[in-house]
Amino acid sequence: MLVSNIEMFSPSSLSECLTYLSQSSKKHKLIAGGTDAAVRMKEGKWRPEIWINIKNLKELRYIEEKDGCIHIGPLTTHTDILRSDLLKRKADVLVEAAREVGATQMQNMGTIGGNIGTASPAGDTIPALYVLGALIEISSLNTKRLVPIEQFFIGPGRTILRENEMITGILIQPQHPNEIGIFQKLGPRKAQSISIVNVAISLKMIEGKHCHGGKIAFGSVGPAIIRAKKCESLLSQGPLTEELIQNIAKVAWKEVLPITDGRATALYRRDMASALLERGLYRLLRRWENR
Amino acid sequence: MTYNNANPDSFKWVGKRVKRIDAPEKVTGELKYMTDYQFDNMVWGKVLRAEYPHAKINKIDTEGAQKLPGVICVLTHKDIPGFNGFGIVVPDQPVLCSKVVRCTGDAVALVAAETLEIAEQALSLIKVDYEPLEVVADVEFAMSSSAPQLHPDGNIHSHVAIKNGDTKKAFQVADIIVENTFYSPRQMHAFIETEGGWGVMDEQGLITIRCPGQYAYRDRMQIARSLAYNPERIRVISSPIGGAFGGKDEITVQIYLALLAMHTNGRPVKIHYSREESVIAGMKRHPFKVHMKTAAKRDGTLLANEVRAMGDTGAYASLGGAVIALAIEHSCGPYKIPNVDLEGFCIYTNNGIAGAFRGFGVNQVCMGIETHMDMIAEKLGIDPIELRKKNVYHQGEVSSVGHIVKSSVGTFRTLETAEKCDLWKNREKYKAEASEPWKKRGVSLATSFHGIGMGIGLPDYGAASIELLPDGKFLVGVGCEEIGGGNSTVYAQVAAEILNCDISNIQVVQGDTSRTLDGGTVTASRSTYTGGRAVATAAPNMVKMLTETAGEMLNLPLSKIEIETNHLSGGGEKITYQSIYQYLYENRRTTRVEGHFYLPKEKEEIEGSGGAPHHLYGYLTHVVLVEVDTLTGETDVLRVVSIPDAGKVMNRKALKAKQRAEL
Repeated sequence: MLVSNIEMFSPSSLSECLTYLSQSSKKHKLIAGGTDAAVRMKEGKWRPEIWINIKNLKELRYIEEKDGCIHIGPLTTHTDILRSDLLKRKADVLVEAAREVGATQMQNMGTIGGNIGTASPAGDTIPALYVLGALIEISSLNTKRLVPIEQFFIGPGRTILRENEMITGILIQPQHPNEIGIFQKLGPRKAQSISIVNVAISLKMIEGKHCHGGKIAFGSVGPAIIRAKKCESLLSQGPLTEELIQNIAKVAWKEVLPITDGRATALYRRDMASALLERGLYRLLRRWENR
Repeated sequence: MTYNNANPDSFKWVGKRVKRIDAPEKVTGELKYMTDYQFDNMVWGKVLRAEYPHAKINKIDTEGAQKLPGVICVLTHKDIPGFNGFGIVVPDQPVLCSKVVRCTGDAVALVAAETLEIAEQALSLIKVDYEPLEVVADVEFAMSSSAPQLHPDGNIHSHVAIKNGDTKKAFQVADIIVENTFYSPRQMHAFIETEGGWGVMDEQGLITIRCPGQYAYRDRMQIARSLAYNPERIRVISSPIGGAFGGKDEITVQIYLALLAMHTNGRPVKIHYSREESVIAGMKRHPFKVHMKTAAKRDGTLLANEVRAMGDTGAYASLGGAVIALAIEHSCGPYKIPNVDLEGFCIYTNNGIAGAFRGFGVNQVCMGIETHMDMIAEKLGIDPIELRKKNVYHQGEVSSVGHIVKSSVGTFRTLETAEKCDLWKNREKYKAEASEPWKKRGVSLATSFHGIGMGIGLPDYGAASIELLPDGKFLVGVGCEEIGGGNSTVYAQVAAEILNCDISNIQVVQGDTSRTLDGGTVTASRSTYTGGRAVATAAPNMVKMLTETAGEMLNLPLSKIEIETNHLSGGGEKITYQSIYQYLYENRRTTRVEGHFYLPKEKEEIEGSGGAPHHLYGYLTHVVLVEVDTLTGETDVLRVVSIPDAGKVMNRKALKAKQRAEL
């Protein structure tokens, strides 16, 4: 399929988009910010018969808190996330992750729905959504379902989305005042880079260095995001001293299953998973103590 | 005629803080680079690259591509009217490969088509029958007798050697010897504008190539040689440039454009590499392997240095020989070491092609000698600056390569300045301030030097023209391109200073064979010096023309003509530049002058050195604070004190930007 032969349809409302998805027999793909889609089209990897350009669906671009939940529209850009006071207060780890996506141009164009839909194991916002207990709202013309983010991905580039469905919302649990989060990324460069390893951490603190527990999710070290549940279970074993942090970090390599690719070797990734967890926990504790 | 500007203290433009004349259009994005242009009737050119790093070509079948609708032409080596090769020193790189490919950047065929997409499709339809050959990927293997020979003269493109004193004896009596091997990788210039441009041939057969480059006249010569075409019928426009750093010194796409333009019925043809193509086919920095052995006495006096450097030039030479020669010339640092045994090899492999890149081989050896200086200092317990101060050569002394250094030497003073700077004086305090427990900080310094201009064996001339325009402005023409370093502003400053006018009266044109004289390359830290001096040679000729014309117009002797700011006067009357132009025009006389300059050179070449020594060198010391994350290995450069021996600074505003850019 030549790029010049690909059609494009730009629905003006969500219902028009869902109607199209339910009726069309053409091989389609959704395009929002295009920061992944355009690149893959150029590389020849994504050549659908028709692009469905959803960039104009303003109704899918929002950040709001209601019924005890934060709702984020899939067309919310990374820059929108960075600038949201609500998210800064109640989803700090997501804001940090959005700040690490590519560089400013990518943050301005790229959307959180796109980051999820592309389903890259290196997607920066996804580990943050894992530790925030995100639910993905999936809609077709006649159905709507809420799926925990951990059930959404099948493998690299593959999700449970059906041909007639699309992501229409992301729901996260707002952090309580004693919950704090951090996102750590290691890339080949400081900007314009895809993660070699990244990790999102969210802790529920009691007081001092004691914590009730928390969630840890690694990116780019497996076919999907990896929850480090063994590490998580150690978080509440005692005060998070430097020694305990180092011990927890040492467990991390048992949880990840990285591969060697153009960005790094499996061995380096495995070591760096521990390094990033140690660094992240230390920094998070510092932040908690200096709050 | 009187001159108010003879005293440098009264200079209005030279040495002042002058806003760059090319800044507004670059900052606003108004400036169009050659590759930004689009034309309605334009066609797209694409290059077919080799499938293998080393293979024999049995057959090239272009039939499928020719038949594809929208394809205008498909060209192979058979379509090259002249010499099938290019290369600044040795034209060993085929324009289009015929019998063998030596790297994956090799070009095998060219296509022009109605759209970029059709051109890309056409490439996939060209069938090349290859017979893969053994690949040479390592310089030491390349030098061994078991390696396949990549070029008729073997795999060693060049060998340089400098020997002074008796290193063997020196190593025997030395109190300390350090010996190490330093590897440095291939590096990409990664300029913002990838290689590209466009070409067109008019009905009269005049070929115009608009393609960013670093020496339009030499590009023209290389095009003419391959096309077997009168160079006077080729116009090359090579400025402005979206960055080059040496990577556009060699031919990039100029010959492809010219070949395609001969087959597109007068339609302009454009080639613009994708970033990926630029990675594969563009020039890179030479990867080096430098083996170094340095000896000193207990008091820190350097006794001997032995260097064996190998540069991987990839499949073709380009400027590889000169890069290795310059590396060897600089391999002992700005020090006086009595016994040296230095040799360098430029080696062909089947790797990507390496050529000119800022530093030109000196970076690779500087890393070695400066690391050794630190190691010796540490082992002997001598302060690293003291050790360097002890061993630097001063003006009038003999350098390590064995020549008397006649021009100024700034190393000692840059070291003294480094010693006094806050970062060095308080380095223990800064080192102790690591931001997190797993981070470690270090403060260190390095000093280096770099030859200016071409060295012995290569003519090094500058040329400039100044033309009085109808509106009373002056058009300064210099061949050296505006590569982004700010030489256009320097040329305008020099002209404004001598013509005693505001800089807004000066326009500068660069890099255009139809509008500028041949003034050599924009490389080798030469264009400010050589081009600036050429303007300074042309400007008095313009002053002479202005005053003589004014005298003639007013019927006054020259002694009565005053050069005032932005105009001339005589006998109480004001003479504007416009009126002078008008007078010359009416009398059918030229309004244009020229100036030529020859860069001073050393008389005697050091035998076997491939061009050393240079007459002028620039000197520089850096003090750096770095922080290493011991968990991840990430390194941050937190602070740099840059201490250049800049000589006469032409534009103080540009100096700061230049130092930042160098970092």
